[in-house]
Amino acid sequence: MGLGDGESGDPPSLAEVQAPSQGEGREGGLLGSGSPTFLTTKVDFVVNWARRNSLWPMPFGTACCAIEMMASAASNFDLARFGMERMSFSPRQADVLICAGRVPYKLAPVLRRIWDQMMQPKWCISMGACASSGGVFDVYSMVQGIDTIIPVDVYIPGCPPRPEGLIYGLMMIQEKIRGESLSEHYSLRAEDPSLVGRPRAGTEEVEALAGPFGNSTQQERLSSFAQTTRPERSEDLLP
Amino acid sequence: MADEGGSAFDAVEQGPEASQDDAGTPRGGDGDPSSHPSVTALQSRFGATILHHEVQAGDQHVVFVDPARNREVLEWLKDDPEQRYDLLADVTAVDYGGGKPIQIVYQLWSVGHKRALRVKCELPLDDLTIHSVVELWKTANWLEREVYDLFGVDFGGHPDLRRILMPQNYAEGHPLRKDFPLRGRFSRAEQTRRALSQDYRDDYTTELLEVGGAPGLAPPEPDGLTEEAEDTP
Repeated sequence: MGLGDGESGDPPSLAEVQAPSQGEGREGGLLGSGSPTFLTTKVDFVVNWARRNSLWPMPFGTACCAIEMMASAASNFDLARFGMERMSFSPRQADVLICAGRVPYKLAPVLRRIWDQMMQPKWCISMGACASSGGVFDVYSMVQGIDTIIPVDVYIPGCPPRPEGLIYGLMMIQEKIRGESLSEHYSLRAEDPSLVGRPRAGTEEVEALAGPFGNSTQQERLSSFAQTTRPERSEDLLP
Repeated sequence: MADEGGSAFDAVEQGPEASQDDAGTPRGGDGDPSSHPSVTALQSRFGATILHHEVQAGDQHVVFVDPARNREVLEWLKDDPEQRYDLLADVTAVDYGGGKPIQIVYQLWSVGHKRALRVKCELPLDDLTIHSVVELWKTANWLEREVYDLFGVDFGGHPDLRRILMPQNYAEGHPLRKDFPLRGRFSRAEQTRRALSQDYRDDYTTELLEVGGAPGLAPPEPDGLTEEAEDTP
């Protein structure tokens, strides 16, 4: 399980995400520019606390992964414990897109449109092998990883992943939110408006990602495209 | 990618191999027509139009019919009071590969007589045309569209013969044909680009969209060209 780049920009911006202490090149955000102040860190803490504890998932369940997603929301695993009280079936009110299942090319514009309809700030989880890489469906009709269509924050491996896996992925999102700052808010989450309705990945990247049997067998070749570094966590996962 | 010669992925690149058996489409031995009243009736009425008869899986009677007269035979099977095959359970097709003819399969069921019959028509690959049976069974409409979409069979007289499963702007051919490469004909990048440029309005007629009250409907261009998908969220 690794963090991808959560935005549509160039890979270098990911370094900023993962190393927030690095202060250079940071434009003025909502609360001024420069290094974090006492005020911004406290506001960050409160805002991030609110955001990560009221994540509303947008379920985009297309296959058996959706069964596990439903099990996660049901009483045994109970996503509501983490603030995912309400599965938001409207993208306008959702924070996390959970793409659970295989996505055929005919469904690709639907997925793209739902992502475009979601309000900022928003995150995306690619749940399961098919959504992440096409899985075993390396055929004419299947999208070879939804990261060619939309940006993905967390990939959850498994076929399908157990509910614990999905919950862990959602907690990774929470971890990611914990590291965000309002002062770099716009550089973190902004998407290029020209990408609306367009593929996220370039031609070269799609070709690399969609080699035989998806990208699951070719991790080395992708090191320049897909960031698979482990996120730096100063705090423990479970505070 | 599978550049380092002799990779296990080579077979995937090449796609399925055609069968080496060029003796024609697999057929079983002749069945006993007397065990199925419709088969004997067909043979006595249509004679040489009934090319072959065999029994599969114990009691599934299969009748091969001259594709030029499929409509006539099926209409008789549906309307003759002794037959009454009023339920068309399925229309599908089989491609055995190796240049063999594609078989169109009609799976019939007679509710009144509780009898099943399978009618097959063999179409050579260079002439994939057959008469539609939509006028006999309405359910054949979407089933024949599916066969057209996936095998490229042209059903003459079909009221609305266009793709049903694949996107309307799909241009790579007919995917269930044996000569179709597993991953399609275009590159993945091109497939992704085309997929995202499809417009859901292509799937419906303007009348249907108006009935459905689709918001922001722009009527199609007079020349039939739809504009490039520039959807705003």
